[in-house]
Amino acid sequence: MKRAFALMLLVAAPTAALGQRLDAEVDCKPTKHDLVYDCRVVLKEVKSGRLVSGALLSIGADMPSMPMAHNIKPVRAEPGAAPGEYTARIELEMFGDWALKLNVRGPVRDVIVKKFSAREPDR
Amino acid sequence: MAADFAQNTLDGVMLGSAYALLALGFTLIFGVLRRANLAYGPAILLGAYAATWANLTFRPGQFVLALVTIAGATVAGAYVERLCFAPHARRTRSRDAAAIASMVASFALWMQLEELATLWLPKHLYSFPPLYDGPPLALGPLTLRVEYLAMLVCAAAACFGLHRLLSRTRFGLAVRAVVDQPDAARLAGINVPRVMLLVFALASALGGLAGYLIVAAHEQVTPMLGMWSTLKGMIAMMLGGLGSLPGAVIGGVALGLLEAHSQWLAGPQYRDLVAYLVLFALLAFRPVGLWAMLARKPAAAD
Amino acid sequence: MDEFALGVLTNIALFSFLALSAYLLLIAGEMSFGQQAFFGVGAYAAGIGTAMWGWPMPLAAAFAMALGAGTAWLVGLPTIRLRGLYFAMATLAAAEMFRILFELLHYQREIDGDLVGPDGTQGFRGIRWVLERGFEPHEYLALVTAILALVLAGFALVARSRLGARIRMVGEDPELAAVFGVDVARLKLGVVAAAGALAALGGALYAHHNTYIEPRNFDIMLGVHSLAYGLIGGLGTAAGPLLGVLIDIGLLESTRVFQGWRMVVFGGLVAVLLIVRPRGLLDEAVVNRIKRALSTR
Repeated sequence: MKRAFALMLLVAAPTAALGQRLDAEVDCKPTKHDLVYDCRVVLKEVKSGRLVSGALLSIGADMPSMPMAHNIKPVRAEPGAAPGEYTARIELEMFGDWALKLNVRGPVRDVIVKKFSAREPDR
Repeated sequence: MAADFAQNTLDGVMLGSAYALLALGFTLIFGVLRRANLAYGPAILLGAYAATWANLTFRPGQFVLALVTIAGATVAGAYVERLCFAPHARRTRSRDAAAIASMVASFALWMQLEELATLWLPKHLYSFPPLYDGPPLALGPLTLRVEYLAMLVCAAAACFGLHRLLSRTRFGLAVRAVVDQPDAARLAGINVPRVMLLVFALASALGGLAGYLIVAAHEQVTPMLGMWSTLKGMIAMMLGGLGSLPGAVIGGVALGLLEAHSQWLAGPQYRDLVAYLVLFALLAFRPVGLWAMLARKPAAAD
Repeated sequence: MDEFALGVLTNIALFSFLALSAYLLLIAGEMSFGQQAFFGVGAYAAGIGTAMWGWPMPLAAAFAMALGAGTAWLVGLPTIRLRGLYFAMATLAAAEMFRILFELLHYQREIDGDLVGPDGTQGFRGIRWVLERGFEPHEYLALVTAILALVLAGFALVARSRLGARIRMVGEDPELAAVFGVDVARLKLGVVAAAGALAALGGALYAHHNTYIEPRNFDIMLGVHSLAYGLIGGLGTAAGPLLGVLIDIGLLESTRVFQGWRMVVFGGLVAVLLIVRPRGLLDEAVVNRIKRALSTR
């Protein structure tokens, strides 16, 4: 409790922004299992376009139409072969529109939100 | 311009007849029980999903699909009545509190029915066979879709039929007795819980008919049908005036006209904005509804 | 605690603001289907404040609360006389209007090479104030929980006061309250504005937790859920709505015990629960019994 009040005081004092803003390209492909997707993420800095490798990336998801209600366990992404590239396998709960939340840690700290529409395959 | 206006008006009346059909079932429940059944639309959704499943499995004719939709909606509606409305009917001490409990329970079953439907048929969209495959009717420069004409006829027939049922039959007499004096009705030997259940089943069957006509006109079914039906039925009912059958038809047609014209003038986002704005203004300043304003009398059920 | 557990707890705390907002109106005898609108107003206002105007978050949150109270008051002004389903539908209509207005809101500005601000249905990304101050997830959870504790303390104070007694009296029997000299309409308008401010505070905290909001966040599902939480948990105490959120989000959603059947189980459970306890688990009778048990010790 005390700590939280100290934090509330702390937040009133502006501190310097952390590093560069990041952006991500996210490309999720369906697998043979419904609602399981293999995602490829490329992280880069917004301004310089420089690719960001070596970050710790985790991907969570929720449904914008049901905020705060769908809690998908975030998965840790593995570094890919190319610079700035990461891969992860995500499993969603239902078809529909999702917001993927990319949590970046390590040398840079950022959160990027990307929309993703999970459509059922035509069979 | 005049032709556009006429066409939009015609489209609005046709769209409105779908809303009117939805509102009739809603109004029947509200008029008798004085409670809103939020699971009304999801019961319709379940009926439509049953028909979709039947269509995928057996490919039966349209008549069978209509029956399956109505039967599915009726069974689901009766289930909702047993679990959400019958147990709260006797709590006379605090009517408001019981009405809130019923409504929230029906919301809980909304969630349940919707999830059951999507567990049954998990795709986001299913196609549904069209009611009528030919070209729309031409009325001079105007066009008219046959499916919507069927809805208009059904809405008018349902309104008339319900009116006759309530005013001319023994069952109708029992329903009116339950509405006016539930305790006296019970003393007079009327089986009140049975009347309530029958009213609910009848309303859900009407909803099922509306749902069938709507999915056959759209030629597709999505899980959104449940929420859509509840909202449109409720809005049309409120526009027309709570608990009045002609009000439900007028409210439905008014909502259809409002949507058709505002969509043409300003686009789909403004269409919904205008519909909600009119509903809000009407509730705030003339809560008796359109029918009572037109007929210059207090709302029938209040 | 891992990232997932922290996320769930933060969501529970954030949802509680909205559930408390709906609960406040319920004990005053009004059922609102529209509290999600003020949650949305708060989220957009605070997001614009910090991300676009460079305000510190406490100022932006205060602005959000003022705007939430103001808009709720404006919606309440013509509708406060309505009761039951009429009020519920009027608030629903108002909330849907707000959601469509969020869809029509385009107001963006370039910050650090990135376009920031509400972009209609595309949403509002880049609400980064909390992120940029280096808050860790557990620290933000502590902050949100502390604010929620303050709000609950406020509820407890009001519940013991004459004001609290008046609110419950108006909720149970407005005619009787009027006989006892309570200005029912004025009191209800005050409650409406307070509930709006509370929802907006929750929205402001939500926007900064998520860094991204969109109009669809604030549709009717959110509002009706928050209303249902109060009725499940109980209307006897402000702990009731919290219990409701905890049961749904904490127990059923996050533990995954029922997997895809969560809503089937939860929906049936709620309907049965309301038969046994129409005013929720912690209703007035239970709360009174607990109070008596505590006072005789």
